[in-house]
Amino acid sequence: MRFSRKLLGIPYAVFLIIFVVAPLFVLFFYAFTNGEGQFSFSNLTGFFSDPNTLGTLCYSFALAFVVTVVCLLLAYPTAYFLATSKLKAKGVIIMIFVMPMWINFSLRITALKEILTMIERNLAYYPFLNSVLGMTYDFLPFMILPIYNVIVKLSPDYGEAARDLGADSAGTFLQVTLPLSVPGILSGVSMVFLPAMTNYVVLDMLYNSTYIMGSLIGSYFSAYNWHGGSMIALILLAVICGFTLLTDSIGEGEVKRGGAML
Amino acid sequence: MKRIFLKNTATLLCALLIAGLVLPCVSLAADSGETVLRVCSWEEYIDEGDWGEDEVIDLESGDIFGENPMVNDFEDWYYDTYHKKVRVEYSTFGTNEDLYNMLTLGDVFDLVCPSEYMIMKLMAEDMLSPLSDAFFDENDENNYYIKGVSPYIREMFETHEINGSTWDKYAAGFMWGVTGFVYNPEVVSPEDASTWHLIDNTSYARQITVKDNVRDTYFAALGALKSDLLTSEAFKNSPDYASRLQMEMNDTSPEMIAKVQDYLQSVKDNLYSFETDSGKADMITGKVVANLQWSGDAVYTMDQADEDDFTLDFAVPEESTNVYFDGWVKLKCGVEGDPDKQHAAEAFINFLSRPDNVIRNMYYIGYTSVISNSEDGRIFEYLEWNYGADDEEEDTVEYSVAHFFAEGEESQDEFILTVPEDQLNRQLAAQYPSEEVLARASIMEYFNKEVSEATNQMWINVRCFNIKNVPVWCWILAGLIVALIAYAVIDKKISRKHQVSAPDITTFRDHERKN
Repeated sequence: MRFSRKLLGIPYAVFLIIFVVAPLFVLFFYAFTNGEGQFSFSNLTGFFSDPNTLGTLCYSFALAFVVTVVCLLLAYPTAYFLATSKLKAKGVIIMIFVMPMWINFSLRITALKEILTMIERNLAYYPFLNSVLGMTYDFLPFMILPIYNVIVKLSPDYGEAARDLGADSAGTFLQVTLPLSVPGILSGVSMVFLPAMTNYVVLDMLYNSTYIMGSLIGSYFSAYNWHGGSMIALILLAVICGFTLLTDSIGEGEVKRGGAML
Repeated sequence: MKRIFLKNTATLLCALLIAGLVLPCVSLAADSGETVLRVCSWEEYIDEGDWGEDEVIDLESGDIFGENPMVNDFEDWYYDTYHKKVRVEYSTFGTNEDLYNMLTLGDVFDLVCPSEYMIMKLMAEDMLSPLSDAFFDENDENNYYIKGVSPYIREMFETHEINGSTWDKYAAGFMWGVTGFVYNPEVVSPEDASTWHLIDNTSYARQITVKDNVRDTYFAALGALKSDLLTSEAFKNSPDYASRLQMEMNDTSPEMIAKVQDYLQSVKDNLYSFETDSGKADMITGKVVANLQWSGDAVYTMDQADEDDFTLDFAVPEESTNVYFDGWVKLKCGVEGDPDKQHAAEAFINFLSRPDNVIRNMYYIGYTSVISNSEDGRIFEYLEWNYGADDEEEDTVEYSVAHFFAEGEESQDEFILTVPEDQLNRQLAAQYPSEEVLARASIMEYFNKEVSEATNQMWINVRCFNIKNVPVWCWILAGLIVALIAYAVIDKKISRKHQVSAPDITTFRDHERKN
């Protein structure tokens, strides 16, 4: 009787089969059948011929894009200065950024709702802005951490070498630090962009009545239309796959260099 | 050898895992002599006990106090009364659609408490098991439901049919109410709140929430669109007013659905939002000035506001209101062929209909029970305890609830409450709508498959962002971004192909490591 390390993988394999692979088959089955259980493409063509569902896809994209850009603009300088500073209490500051994640998500958004109401008086006039703020608030740590992790591991020797070779500090940053931190950026982007396309709870709680992909799927299910809902989930899956491939192909070189994916 | 061993271990582990999942179920079922009753109802829809000392309802006929959860009390009562053990597995659902989806996915319950339209749907799809004859035997002292149900509800249940059988054959009511607006009287005038046109009233732009649910919103839109007809004297005085109203408020013709869509699209920007469950809190914190609400929730909202010394009122639109109820039905998939379960299920309904339990539930959740039990009298006494004016109060009015309580003509006068005047548009009016309000109430039928699909599409059209509304600059911006990304990808590919052999950082690092 020899204990094999492979055995340790079995619980996860079982988990994977029951909760990931099997539901995926169910999803495919529903997406490509109609109400009578016959094979059909009608859900697929229905999605792409309805200006409302297509509009929802665009809206989700736009929202996720803006959230990602805002997160990146906020997170990169923070992570950069934090990682390169000589502060002793770095760990504490990082903890302050991560701390919101310890608090329940809906509690945080409720608090944000009250703060925004104080500032804006009436939240109904700025639904898009509020959704962006809510999601940024929610996802910012996911952007900061990977970027911080990459930059903090960069050896200061690179910077010194660049300066020795005549680069000024802007040149050092643009040509050495920034390209080397791309893996962190990509990891952060995919951790923010994808949830931002579907996290409709934030929109619900901040009174944005426009559907995004997540709420659209929900609306199909509550009308007992499993088929249409599954198709949208599948399309979302395809979008996510495409997005991941895209970020991979951009970051290919850097990731190979042993970038720190979180 | 090793591989075989591995395979066997894997099988063994799987078997253990499955056994671990299945065994508890088997052992529970094998426990003899105990009936398991699987009940599924709305969240926060039954007294869960544990009341504070100051919450005793001290009626003259005796105190009523929720010490233990209602479900546990039922188990004890059932054992004492029928000398048989029953164990209730109580679970909850969030919306009628969730419940229906749970059932289609194969969840099995014995007794569920959906709303009227879902009961109609379940009846139409033959998923229910009829209530037994014994349940309707008024001579059995434990049959609290049939002895206590309000004549108003009883008539409703006996006169409405699905597939040729009346509702009362399958369903026993639990709570009921009407829809209306909770509003802040400092901002909204009672006149404005008494019409469905409140939602398109531009003087309250972006200050009103409605329900994020197609049925309630559809009804509200119908009320607003047909306002002129519904409030005209000719219509109101027509001899078949009730049936015509019922027909108008169940108008789901494609033309009407299209009109409702246009209407909702135009008022969408006049609303604060479509809310899922933030409406109650937002009324209390003052974020919105009016909120489309079910009367039971309206009572709860006003109670909460009262605690903060903030006054909210309730109004029922004058066009028409949607009278709804939630009722207990036995599911075929659970109880069929099991008389013990059927008996326990009906006993559960009866136990909830016992006057003291009715009061406990009403106090706990704020909704209105379908039980009036004027013979016992405690429910009316609770109303007096709750709403009756103090002796020294001056501005009092008489409010009759006889249409709900009185069994016959002669007892009409017994059910008149003397209440403070403001109760006419507050909790009492919400919890026990007046006869005049109920005259303009209509029941919203369930949507059949075609209508359900059409209304759902309508709802998606209202809620989704239409691609045709994307401004040109957005398209241009999106095009630029896509081009930029494409450039980045292609540039990368090309530069990688033509990579000069200059030492890049990787080799640099490798070099470092070697040293």
